[in-house]
Amino acid sequence: MAVVQEQTKRESGRIKDVNQKRVLDSYTRAKRLRKQLEALEQDNFQEDPQANLVIPNKRLPQFDSNEGSNPAKKKKKTRGDHFKQRFRKTFNMLVEEEQLSMQEPPNYLTACIPPSKTPDRKFCAVCGFPSNYTCVSCGARYCCVKCLGTHQDTRCLKWTV
Amino acid sequence: MRDGKVAIIFKRLVPNCIMKAKNERRKQYIGSQIDDCKDLSGIFYLLPFQKGYLVNWDVQRQVWEHTFGKDVMNLEPEDTNAIIAEPYFDFSSIQEAMNEIYFEEYNFKAILRTNAGTLSAFKNRQEEPNQLCCLLVDCGYSFTHIAPYYNGKKVGSAIRRVNIGGKVLTNHLKEIISYRQLHVMDETYVMNQVKEDVCYVSLDFFGDMKIAKLKGQENTIVRDYILPDFSHSKRGYLKQDDTKLKPHEQTVRMNNERFAVPEILFHPSDIGIQEMGVSEAIVHVINNCPTDMRPHLFKNILLTGGNAMFPGFKERVESDVRSMAPALYDVRVTKPVNPITHAWEGGKLLSTSKNFSSLMVTRDEYNEHGHSICWEKFDV
Repeated sequence: MAVVQEQTKRESGRIKDVNQKRVLDSYTRAKRLRKQLEALEQDNFQEDPQANLVIPNKRLPQFDSNEGSNPAKKKKKTRGDHFKQRFRKTFNMLVEEEQLSMQEPPNYLTACIPPSKTPDRKFCAVCGFPSNYTCVSCGARYCCVKCLGTHQDTRCLKWTV
Repeated sequence: MRDGKVAIIFKRLVPNCIMKAKNERRKQYIGSQIDDCKDLSGIFYLLPFQKGYLVNWDVQRQVWEHTFGKDVMNLEPEDTNAIIAEPYFDFSSIQEAMNEIYFEEYNFKAILRTNAGTLSAFKNRQEEPNQLCCLLVDCGYSFTHIAPYYNGKKVGSAIRRVNIGGKVLTNHLKEIISYRQLHVMDETYVMNQVKEDVCYVSLDFFGDMKIAKLKGQENTIVRDYILPDFSHSKRGYLKQDDTKLKPHEQTVRMNNERFAVPEILFHPSDIGIQEMGVSEAIVHVINNCPTDMRPHLFKNILLTGGNAMFPGFKERVESDVRSMAPALYDVRVTKPVNPITHAWEGGKLLSTSKNFSSLMVTRDEYNEHGHSICWEKFDV
């Protein structure tokens, strides 16, 4: 009986809208944040301008003149395969190695500074000024209706970064 | 760098990367060759370092060969002693590779591998012999290290790293400018210059935020920055208030970005990195040191690294640390004349000191004992 009554009740359009809105769960939010932080470590955002270019001689002509004699030959010898493999370690591989090697502290992993004791400050994701509101869908901060509009139009649920 | 007989002193800063320009289809610019590049827009970087550690040896080798070669230093490695600065807690495989390359490939006469901070602390100790301790803050490109030194020796267990450096700041600036105004994600080189030219560390963050919100004349923070177009101008600059823009000129407006970007150094949580900021970390590190050391560390805080060049950086660290330190301790913060080359100056000084040769490992010693002697002698 009560259920039927609720269905026939008039509702405001705004509340209906809210119910239809997709809300990102905490996992997706954390993933987004992680991706943003990873982007801050990136070296380049554009494509390599010489990506499809095959450089016949990797060395520039300047080097040939002073490396024509013995040192060049010596270098070639050490430039074997073992060299290449040993030196092809990504940063993550190095950290993993450090973890496995059980080096006694202090080491890279123990040297990281702990989180701050003060609470986070909140800034508008659009204009950068202090903000008081949180976007319901994605958890981003905003400071005014205008910024919320920009946020919903540009990022919010559309942002795939 | 010291030669066997004659000490030649010349300071050269070489960018440690290989760069590719948009309009140069074939050429790569290694290290200082970038000075020859006319169009610096959309520079593509190949960096030997990732998160502050050497991972891309192929790139690093090319830069070294260029730097040691006759283009830059024209070295005879067989007669040269080298001081190599490595980050704190450098991974052991990197350290061994370093020995191998310097001795087996380049045949240096002798090397000394150490931390840049140790060189800075050495210089500080020479200049101020009555300071027992030194708290070294090295705020660089990939991260910031806070390292206490006692009697010129680092206190390894207390060293801490804040994962914020100039790279994150530049990338963040690029990100917010691209979102708010103009797509500059590809312009690392130019935006780094914007950062260096107009950003500053605020001494009253929320006060400055209020000023930045004001309109017109009252807003004393906002600046227009004219971007270089590489045909009329090679470098960006601040727009003077009364000048009119020429049609080819493009600007970015820097308002709260000016101080909100360097603010990340002091509040990494502003961009979601859950770590202490530099000032809080300084106090945290000092409080992890033995009680007797603390007053000495508080009164000798030394700021090095490129981020120390931000206007207001020193003052901010000073006022923050002062507010967090016990009232009976003196707080003194020093910023050297050139925070970037301070470690180099320290190395220069060290190379003329009496016991320098005892610190180094010679090629003969390496050939005899291998890596073990390097592990013994070098404290990286």
